[in-house]
Amino acid sequence: MTSSMTSVLKNSGKTNRPNDTQLAAFGAELDALRERTLTDLGERDARYIRRIYAAVRYTEVIGRGLLFFGLFPPAWIVGTLLLGISKILDNMELGHNVIHGQYDWMNDPHLSGKTFEWDIVGTADHWRKTHNYSHHTYTNIKGMDEDIGYGVLRLFPEQRWRPFFIGQPIYALIFALLFQWGVAIQDLRFGQYFKGKKTGKEMLEEMKPFLKKSRRQLIKDYVIFPLIAGPFFLPVFLGNLAANGIRNLWTYMIIFCGHFTADVELFPKSVLRNESRGQWYYRQIRGSSNLTGSKLLHIMSGNLSHQIEHHLFPDIPAHRYEEMSREVRAICQRYGVHYNRGPLIKQFSQVIWRILRYSLPSKYVPIKASA
Amino acid sequence: MTASQTLKRLVAPLVDPAVYDFWAQKVHPTLSWDRCLARVVERHVEARDTVSLTLKPNGLFTGFQPGQHLNVTVEVNGVRLTRSYSPSDSLHKDGRIRLTIKAIAQGKVSQHLVHSCQIGDVVELGSAYGDMTLPEEPHAWLFVAAGSGITPIMSLLNTLTQKPLQQPASLIYWARTRADLCFSEALHKMTENDPLLKVHTVLTREPNRLENELDGHPRESLFRNLVPDLERRRIYACGPHGFVQSVESLLADKAALFQAEAFSPSPVVTTAGAPVNLFLSKSNISVQIPSGVPLLEALEAEGLKPAYGCRMGICNTCSCQKQLGTTTDTRNGNTFSEPGAVRLCINSANSDLTLEL
Repeated sequence: MTSSMTSVLKNSGKTNRPNDTQLAAFGAELDALRERTLTDLGERDARYIRRIYAAVRYTEVIGRGLLFFGLFPPAWIVGTLLLGISKILDNMELGHNVIHGQYDWMNDPHLSGKTFEWDIVGTADHWRKTHNYSHHTYTNIKGMDEDIGYGVLRLFPEQRWRPFFIGQPIYALIFALLFQWGVAIQDLRFGQYFKGKKTGKEMLEEMKPFLKKSRRQLIKDYVIFPLIAGPFFLPVFLGNLAANGIRNLWTYMIIFCGHFTADVELFPKSVLRNESRGQWYYRQIRGSSNLTGSKLLHIMSGNLSHQIEHHLFPDIPAHRYEEMSREVRAICQRYGVHYNRGPLIKQFSQVIWRILRYSLPSKYVPIKASA
Repeated sequence: MTASQTLKRLVAPLVDPAVYDFWAQKVHPTLSWDRCLARVVERHVEARDTVSLTLKPNGLFTGFQPGQHLNVTVEVNGVRLTRSYSPSDSLHKDGRIRLTIKAIAQGKVSQHLVHSCQIGDVVELGSAYGDMTLPEEPHAWLFVAAGSGITPIMSLLNTLTQKPLQQPASLIYWARTRADLCFSEALHKMTENDPLLKVHTVLTREPNRLENELDGHPRESLFRNLVPDLERRRIYACGPHGFVQSVESLLADKAALFQAEAFSPSPVVTTAGAPVNLFLSKSNISVQIPSGVPLLEALEAEGLKPAYGCRMGICNTCSCQKQLGTTTDTRNGNTFSEPGAVRLCINSANSDLTLEL
């Protein structure tokens, strides 16, 4: 028996798909949880997101400040770490969540999902399309959710093997180090250009917002701040490079743990036909996995450690997921739906296993319509 | 353009207004790159449930004409809410403005401003609007006010009486009881200082009226008695919708000029299916759509193509600002009357709407 077969058998063993009547009740319970939480939103959530915003600002200023003294190694190390933390908080707990519209109810123009811009080379507009729309609507549907391997990696036996994938441990590492760039160009579809389906002019036109945003980011991190440092140009330059790298590796790890652990399922396009609310919820849960850990892990992961809750309720402020997760778990238990969670080390090992395993040929498993 | 404005324009591409505001407000709570913020510096109780707040706006405030209104935005339980209030005084020399606010039952903003707002709190101000302003040349005036409709009129009177009046002016001021009257002291002083100014109060529910207090609703005989030269007066009236309507029907064709402003009634909520008017403010398009139908579907049925994604309330792609009107969330039936972001795919119209599209 191949290991891919093992994993498929294990999947189907862990969860029994409830029947449609049960799924309707299951969906109604999750809807009720959603309503209860929405009613309770207020001052506490506003204060929380503003504290996160303040944390982004303070860590950035202290981090950048310390890097000016970067010839002194401890200052360089602490400065780089703080700047990395600032970027992580900005991208995850602040940017990712605000761009989802989680704080739109506050009516604060600085925290509006439609206009927020973040400290990363990809534009928020592009993210709103690839992530908020494609990934969240078509989560783990093969051929529709482009986050499945990001078009570079083979992570499931349901993806056809090609000799290209032999090198995937290397691609995965490069992708991790340059994660912000990978995400930034996800929607530009260079493949279409190389296949001749798009002209160079069209390609360039589509790239304009990305080029503008990434130029701004590059000038900020690698020209302006190093120049301000004058003679200490190099430590600041390298510190910014390392901070961006830390952010890339961390976000890569968190995001991959959300959908590529051992037990997550893929779905065929056919599930979309007349998918009910309950079925949609079921797919979100079966396509996502959580990380267990401390409050710090949750904040630093933008509460994507609660990937399941995030996929069920993408427009609810993410710091609420922790308390919601207890109820979601109980509901899943009642309906016999497997709730995939584990510590970071375990979940990420499973991700690495997938990267290594599916770089090698395995029997192609046609996708089965389980939902 | 001043030097600082030029500098601001030059550096604007490098500045994130949110970041600027964050650090600037560590220095002073009303500093902002592009928002007019004002600090509450004085609080004075005018009448039952009515306070005057004196505000010190930042340099971005563009001023107002007496008689105009300002949009005031406050944060109540984490949510920013906007309402219109009128300054009750002319702009002070030191740039301060005084707003008078009456607490309305169930009014989130007025209740907050009257009962919870503290000295030192910061509010946001919009630019001033309204046409009931004073012309340069002198005229004979009749001001008619009911309830908190007194506030813009008080601003007009304060400005008019800064110099001795050259022509007569009267104020007829309706309130429920004596405890509801605002500015009694200030009005009394004004009439003592200027014999051409007459102030009459009408109390509709006061059990113990004094000799000089009238009662009853607006009627022609009352106006004729108090202002015999009605024909040469310019009339400004301000109050609740019904009040202003009845004054208008009595006086509009009997005076030299009649102008009125009413507190806008809450949007009319219709039954599902009934047509409502939808105005798209960016594209300047008006369409009629059925209420109760998700806005995205309704707009598409009209041949319009707003941006959309999941069509199930997940992705926020179709979200846009609702400027005016009431919508219903089709998933849970909750209604929203505040301006704010709405997702077109899961909200239906409940009244006439204005969307920033």
